[in-house]
Amino acid sequence: MQRSAAARGAIPPRRVRVPGSGRWREARAGYLFLLPSVVLLFVFVAGPALYAFYLSLFSWNLLNHMHFVGLANFSGLWHLPLFWTAVGNTALFAGVVVPTQTLIALGIAALMNQHLPARGFFRLAFFFPAISSSAAISIIFMWIYNKFGILNSLLTSLHLYGPNWLANPVYALKAIMIMNIWTTSGYFMVVFLAGLQSIPRELYEAAAIDGAAAWQTFRAITVPLLRPTTFFIVVMGVIGTLQMFDQSFILSQGTGGPLHSTTTIVLLVYQFIFSYGKVGFGAAATVLLFVFTLLVTLGINRWLGAATEY
Amino acid sequence: MERGRAVIARRTATWWISRGLYLAILTGGALLMFVPFAWSLSTSLKGLGQAMTYPPVWWPHPFQASNYVKIWHIVPIGQWFINSVLVASAVTAANLIFDSLGGYALARVRFPGKKFWYMGIVAMLMIPFQAVMLPLYIVMKDLGLLDNYGGLIAPVAVSAMGIFLMRQAFLALPSELEDAARIDGAGRFRMFWQLSLPLVTPTLLTLALMIFLSSWNNFLLPLLVANRASLWTLPLGIVMFQQEYFVNWPYLMAAAVLATLPIALVFLVFQRWFIRGVATTGLK
Repeated sequence: MQRSAAARGAIPPRRVRVPGSGRWREARAGYLFLLPSVVLLFVFVAGPALYAFYLSLFSWNLLNHMHFVGLANFSGLWHLPLFWTAVGNTALFAGVVVPTQTLIALGIAALMNQHLPARGFFRLAFFFPAISSSAAISIIFMWIYNKFGILNSLLTSLHLYGPNWLANPVYALKAIMIMNIWTTSGYFMVVFLAGLQSIPRELYEAAAIDGAAAWQTFRAITVPLLRPTTFFIVVMGVIGTLQMFDQSFILSQGTGGPLHSTTTIVLLVYQFIFSYGKVGFGAAATVLLFVFTLLVTLGINRWLGAATEY
Repeated sequence: MERGRAVIARRTATWWISRGLYLAILTGGALLMFVPFAWSLSTSLKGLGQAMTYPPVWWPHPFQASNYVKIWHIVPIGQWFINSVLVASAVTAANLIFDSLGGYALARVRFPGKKFWYMGIVAMLMIPFQAVMLPLYIVMKDLGLLDNYGGLIAPVAVSAMGIFLMRQAFLALPSELEDAARIDGAGRFRMFWQLSLPLVTPTLLTLALMIFLSSWNNFLLPLLVANRASLWTLPLGIVMFQQEYFVNWPYLMAAAVLATLPIALVFLVFQRWFIRGVATTGLK
């Protein structure tokens, strides 16, 4: 019904644009209501996104005059090893964090859906890290990852080696991955749980009558019917991890170190403006990040997005 | 008959075992979520000497709550707290107004080009804040939005997600309601304000919570905007504090606890609406 109303609105049979008439007043109200949102979203989201494309064609340090350099910023980035380090770190981060957090979230949600006692408490406990401030969490984890901190004390008592997590280029990014998985798994668990609860119970009852084992039921019913939810979660996870900034910035004190091992693309963009004064390079990296995110999202869409037929 | 009963009995036994196992896994997981917060609370109540002992001890002895008083004197944490409250409240109020107006227009009002604007706003969902940091910084510099409260509020005064959430809520209302009001000669704004808005109060509450939390936790926007320490919000303030006092972990943990506590309270009181919001924005 709403759909037909929208269609009628889009192609009115008679365009009577007389001020004061019903249709005119309706259209005016629609635009007035939408105006603040459209203006603000344009100035602070869409406008800047387009502006990045424009800026990527200029050389500028915020103080001097801009001058047009064509695609020189892009070829400059191409030949900059630090850019490739950032791309590698970001891709590795997304490649590890997204599958891990998705699987953990799905596993916990499946357990939570078994009508166990204290479900409300568990949901609360798993969800809380996701709504805490990234700054507070990063600082808490810096303390946990301290060379003489609680994590290494635990590892030592298990006769395992405890590295100096954040000062060692081999472990610093891994430390941020663990922290990120810890933070976001609970959020996606809640989304999965909502998806699980929308699967009709009759399907499970039918499977139980047919004598299907729990694992078979999970593979044959839960996973395929959760596909739209999984798609959403993977896309949000990819977009979130490809834009990772706060945690790298805070744990490396803004340097992206040690030895650039935690420099992500967005952190590099930040450094291009505030440390190196190379706006054009930063804008070019922003554009490439857009393109990369879009390609990955489209790829996931091909893989998970198609509707499942039953 | 006998065999059937045996199967049921066996299934009940495995059922109990598996439920016990599930509960054990969940309890372990919940503990894992809880430990970092507990550890920060524990450290915040220790003296510096005790915090640095190795292997670490869990129970502070003696309890040193004075860390919470001391950080208040070292850094303007009271000012940061006020800034966080002010900014998050203003951002929430602006979003409640603009997002519900926009969502209402997209759900209820008939106007040419509606589909175009709807698709445009959905496309905004795909552009995360961090991605446009550089051009946004330059735009804000040109608009004079650096180093003032306006810059902390305006860029997040509207949320595409919020508009989307409100649109879904208004779409679910029956249309007969407004038809009756229209016959009575009510204008669009009156229909919105007096008739439809009160009916979506639960969604408004969800929106308010989501926006308040995300503004309270926002780190990057204050980092870009606020140069003066008097303009910092709690997350930015504690990170700057960390860079200066990076060895005094009890102080830092006290600051982290102070930044987390208000959020924990808000979340505990309103968690139902919040989880509802995640579930609906997550599925639609």
